[in-house]
Amino acid sequence: MSRTVSAISQFMDRRQALLYPAPAVIVLFLIVVLPIAFNIYLAFTKWTVGLGHPVFVGFDNFIDLVSDERVWNGVKVMVYFSGLSLALEIGLGLLIALYFNREFRGSEIVQAIYIFPFAATPVAVALIWRIMLNPEIGVLNYLLRSLGLPGSLWVSGEQMVIPSLVLVDVWKWTPMITLIVLAGLKSLPPDPYEAARIDGANALQIFWYITLPMIRPVLIAALMLRSLDNLKEFDMIYTITQGGPGIASETLYLYSYMVGFGFFKAGYGSALMVVVFLIVLVFNVVMNRMRLSAQDR
Amino acid sequence: MRRIASVALLTLLCAATLAASASAQVNWKQFQGTEVRFLMNKHPFTTFIEPKVAEFEKLTGIKVMMEVFPEDQFRNKRTIELNAGGKLDGYMIMPGQDELYFWKAGWLQPLGDFIKDPKLTEAAWDPKDFFASFTKAATVDGKQIGVVINSETSLLAYRKDLFGQFKVKVPATMKELEETAKFFHGKEVDGKKMVGITLRGKGAAATSQWVDFLYSFGGSWTNAQGKSNLAAAGSIAAFKFYGDLLKNYGPEGGTMLHWAESTSAFMEGKAAMIYDANVFKSLYENPKESKVAGKVGYAIIPAGPAGSVPHVSNWSLSINKNSPPDRQKAAWLFLQWATNKENSLGAMLAGVPAGRASAWNSAEYKAKDAQPDWTANSLKSFEMGQPQWNPPVINVPEIRDITGQVIVEAIQGKDVEASAKKAAELMDKKMER
Repeated sequence: MSRTVSAISQFMDRRQALLYPAPAVIVLFLIVVLPIAFNIYLAFTKWTVGLGHPVFVGFDNFIDLVSDERVWNGVKVMVYFSGLSLALEIGLGLLIALYFNREFRGSEIVQAIYIFPFAATPVAVALIWRIMLNPEIGVLNYLLRSLGLPGSLWVSGEQMVIPSLVLVDVWKWTPMITLIVLAGLKSLPPDPYEAARIDGANALQIFWYITLPMIRPVLIAALMLRSLDNLKEFDMIYTITQGGPGIASETLYLYSYMVGFGFFKAGYGSALMVVVFLIVLVFNVVMNRMRLSAQDR
Repeated sequence: MRRIASVALLTLLCAATLAASASAQVNWKQFQGTEVRFLMNKHPFTTFIEPKVAEFEKLTGIKVMMEVFPEDQFRNKRTIELNAGGKLDGYMIMPGQDELYFWKAGWLQPLGDFIKDPKLTEAAWDPKDFFASFTKAATVDGKQIGVVINSETSLLAYRKDLFGQFKVKVPATMKELEETAKFFHGKEVDGKKMVGITLRGKGAAATSQWVDFLYSFGGSWTNAQGKSNLAAAGSIAAFKFYGDLLKNYGPEGGTMLHWAESTSAFMEGKAAMIYDANVFKSLYENPKESKVAGKVGYAIIPAGPAGSVPHVSNWSLSINKNSPPDRQKAAWLFLQWATNKENSLGAMLAGVPAGRASAWNSAEYKAKDAQPDWTANSLKSFEMGQPQWNPPVINVPEIRDITGQVIVEAIQGKDVEASAKKAAELMDKKMER
């Protein structure tokens, strides 16, 4: 008896490296790896949930999606929305971080208030924006009109919908970028600044030749973090427009949700998800390369 | 004379015994101890029936587990559970939307054998009392698969106070509808600028109201060959008329109006007319939520070139084909009880438009009815209604989505003919039957 116990304990001693992480690995496998693998499998099948079983169709779904106008519309909307919002968030985030990176009275209170949007629940915030952006009863048009300006269609207008959604995204997420950049700024060494000041550099030169090169890896890291969510932005757009008017704000991600859970076409929907996954992956690999080369410099 | 009287008495007695024996044949306790599970949409009918379930449990000894979810979640959960094959015996369904898909998937139990079986169905349940158009709508391949619990159609609701004040006639034709909308559009009433009419404009969601215009203009979903008919002259006329009406005389941002936005514009007193589901009467007439309560008149859809053709739709209760026979029968007893005359009348009085003519025509309901024009016009619509309010395909949501794009483009003032043609081609490609 005691021999078996010691045998077990010896076995465990020798295989600690495998045993201890095992529960976590098994759980991760079940909830992350398996669904992704199943999704990739489904992408090569044709299957409407409930109607028979998945039928293997090879690359048919991927061939179909090349000629699907809504896929191209989705990519276009995704690039427009993400490009504009990420650029504004990084730009504004950096400027505001620079402004906060100095001593002034009440700076802590201002900073605490400033991060409110980023701390709020996305869907709750989106619901409020949806009402504020309503052209008939929304407060934004009320304000514009009380200033004697014409109202806008906001998210109800084909041309205005993406800029309006970008406005919400920028309002919500710029504080996050600011926080990351601010942490980066605070950790910069003081010596180069002293040297530059002795050499007589002005504020703009200091920013351009010292701050920006030193902060670049942090900026790219912030961009990567934000782009992971932004490229597959769902809750905010879905809550405010569901991709409308028509398909004017339907990103590829929203379209794949529509196909999968609106039309219950699991095969084609999975193929679209794979494409979204690849886009996010490629973008992040490129960004990571940029971050590493910026660090090396 | 005495003889006649005694024959009459005898006949009466016979009839009474017959009726008694007919109802006595259903043993309500036959499935005592069985447990059935129903998945329900959060709907006024569910709100009405849920507190009464205990009565049924007492009558039968059957335990009813009822799970209720908001509509979007309900739809997702229902499909996923039916597909996974878990323990689910009955559920709510909109036959016009889901029946073909669910039928092909093998999730709908035909009810005919239960209805015919005197051991399972009381004569007093009287299937003929249900409006025929709804029973027809819940029938696939000649088999009835659901029993109506909520009957719907659409009506034109208008501000009868303003129509009286400006001496405007209720529009009877599409031409008059447009003229009336134009007349009211931009008028100042109580310091507020009115819009002529409000309608749903949001893609797929708009199709269920637009379809009445489709039929009234002589269009249809498919032609005799089963091909898409969206690009036919009548269909294009319907797209154009509907789009123009909303674009020219509707609220701003028409393409984003779902029923919630459209009805609230009307309830705010901003619109002179609205065309939407008749069940929204309960919203319009609720003085706590609506500024127009008591000022609303109701009419059937104005006549187009093909006449007035409203649609009828309904929620029904169905039984899962994959549930075991005993539980199916127990579920049928529940379904039968939930839709009997007494409960239908109770639902009707609680504001749920029932599927039984007897409930609509009852003295109790008539005494309580504050909008007799709504009742009369709803009944008129039920009689002439078209149950095919969705495309006759399995993949309804996808085809509705394709159709909705044309409605959006019509509201945006784009080339309707071109977009209808494109949609018809896409529909032919994607249609599954």
